[in-house]
Amino acid sequence: MSSSILTPAGRPDGEPAAVAPQDGGRQRLLPSPVTGQEMVLIVVIALLWLALSLATPAFFTSGSIVPLLVGMTPIALIGVGMTIVIITGGIDVSVGSIVMVCSVIVAQTMVGSGLPLPLAVLLAVAIGGVLGLVNGVLIAYGRVHAIIITFGTLNLFRFIGLQVFGSSTVEGIPRTLNFFGRGEAGRTLGIPHSFVIMLVIAALAWWYLRHTAGGRHFYAIGGDSQAARLAGISVRTRVLMAYVVTGLLAGLASCFVLAQGTSSLAANVGSGLELAVIAAVVIGGTSIIGGRGSVLGTVLGALLVQTVATGVTQLGWRSQLSDLFVGLFILIAVGADLIRQRTRRAS
Amino acid sequence: MSARRNRATVAVVGVGMALTLAGCGEGSGGSAGGSGGSGGGDDMPTIAFVPKLQGIPYFEAMNAGGEAACEELGCEWLYQGPVEADAAAQADIVRSFIQQDVDVLFVAPNDPDSMAPLLQEAADAGIAVGTTDTDAPNSVREVFVSQASTEGIGQTLTDQMVEAMGGAGRYAIVSCGETAENLNSWIEVQREYTASEYPEVEITEVVYAGEDQAAATQMATDLMNSDPTLTGLVGECTSSAPGVAQAVRDAGRIGQVATVGLGTPNSIAPYLEDGSASSSVLWDVEALGYLTVWAGMQLAEGNEFEATNDVNSDLSAVEYDEETKTLLLGPPLVLTSENVGEFDY
Repeated sequence: MSSSILTPAGRPDGEPAAVAPQDGGRQRLLPSPVTGQEMVLIVVIALLWLALSLATPAFFTSGSIVPLLVGMTPIALIGVGMTIVIITGGIDVSVGSIVMVCSVIVAQTMVGSGLPLPLAVLLAVAIGGVLGLVNGVLIAYGRVHAIIITFGTLNLFRFIGLQVFGSSTVEGIPRTLNFFGRGEAGRTLGIPHSFVIMLVIAALAWWYLRHTAGGRHFYAIGGDSQAARLAGISVRTRVLMAYVVTGLLAGLASCFVLAQGTSSLAANVGSGLELAVIAAVVIGGTSIIGGRGSVLGTVLGALLVQTVATGVTQLGWRSQLSDLFVGLFILIAVGADLIRQRTRRAS
Repeated sequence: MSARRNRATVAVVGVGMALTLAGCGEGSGGSAGGSGGSGGGDDMPTIAFVPKLQGIPYFEAMNAGGEAACEELGCEWLYQGPVEADAAAQADIVRSFIQQDVDVLFVAPNDPDSMAPLLQEAADAGIAVGTTDTDAPNSVREVFVSQASTEGIGQTLTDQMVEAMGGAGRYAIVSCGETAENLNSWIEVQREYTASEYPEVEITEVVYAGEDQAAATQMATDLMNSDPTLTGLVGECTSSAPGVAQAVRDAGRIGQVATVGLGTPNSIAPYLEDGSASSSVLWDVEALGYLTVWAGMQLAEGNEFEATNDVNSDLSAVEYDEETKTLLLGPPLVLTSENVGEFDY
């Protein structure tokens, strides 16, 4: 059953996983809108929410759900870009450092000159885009694996961030970005703005990846970049795009991080964020070797991780248990991916 | 085929480069403090201090206090720490100070056990060694300059929390590193002292957020949600103190849930202002830097410490415990909206 969902009928045998569909074949070649793993995630999250609602009456209240949804937005948002990157067979471990650089520059500028909200967002996104471009150029033209390049830029960007920090934290950050925060100012009719923004962006990315030829090219590159190149896809441009988009989104996410933070910002902002993002992507069913995955899964993955963290605290369990659960989820997700690949190869 | 091999070579070189870069990130940061050494013409003693990490307001404030003290007392002050709270990187800096042959070396060790042999090495080289802020009890250090006693911090935190809660109720603690020795010993005191002194107050939970401010805020939010009868939150370290206050502010529960914690003046001031934090328990960090230098001068000059020491007009009765060789800065400092403006760090 499940393998028929994952390998749509009608694809000629032996064709690489997801080379751009030919005209006329598009309808049949598209995978089902919700994959097996996403279905599983939806069910798991629904069960978890139900169990938590029964276990603690406090869980299913707006006071609890709103912070949960806001808390997951930076990870889900960067996850959208990371999904595209991983689909192309790459990875970007520098996103935490990008968030650090963006947030410290924006925070300092806000303190110094009372930067208004739109300009703050613009500044953050612009810096993120530039850093993403650095990654993209190095990876698309350097022909070195992305993990090496972004591992290098992780350290490089962090160095830049530390220089900007100087030797102190940023204090007295104004509440300009409260529009994205957890508080009253961050909600309209009880719905948090940052969550809606993240959902809109994720939906656009989901549609683009699924329903446009350009979007399918990312899958083709991850499936077999040589074949994609022979099929006339501009591999370099697409790869470059993936990292720039991730940088832009990391820039926007840094505004969310600032909005959720306190009025002071310390130099450890963003550290370890890349691992949380990659965890969400992998739990969401995106294959770490590229060629398959979806933004919907990543958003669900981020929601699951955040739900677990909230649940562990609300149930009064020991804090480390959430690390244990996230670790298990990752292993289960990767295991499921392996089994899927084996069954496909066997069939 | 050969193209592929080339790519592999590039990848290997790349890994090497990346690892080197990573090494730089964790290694001895900065180039400050290169001008030390006692070979200079004047005979002012050189006092070096290696903090747990450089660039956080806490140690920068200690640096400011130490610098001022050296200017006043006549010594050369060297200050350098790792960019991350990493024991190995810290050890490298300690070694470089041993090589520069400073007169007095103070360390706030990240890992007291692995620092001990290095302090021995320094002592063998004729350097007077001491610890400050964090002790290395099983080492050859001649003095430990302590910011406050464990009991002092734990009890003052509890008193402040209970007072802010109005004398009765339930509170939870948002701590940071799960294995942080000082935080855990304060929590231990808080538990015992709350149970013995305030029978109408109960600690419901202790959670650990790491040094992550956002996680502290999220956990505080979750704690408030899961227990609507909760009326108090303690932020046990400098990142979770503003974190829990932010959670109360965001939830719009100022006045219903009180928070106290160990927040530095600048980071906690906005929260003391709007009432989302009631008070912050800390010590005068600049004075700790000053006292460290003063202790270093005594070591350099070969003076013994008295049971009670008159350091300066602000520190007129600093106690010294002969048995543990500990200088105690004094009772903790309680920051409120009234006095927080007097401090700038």
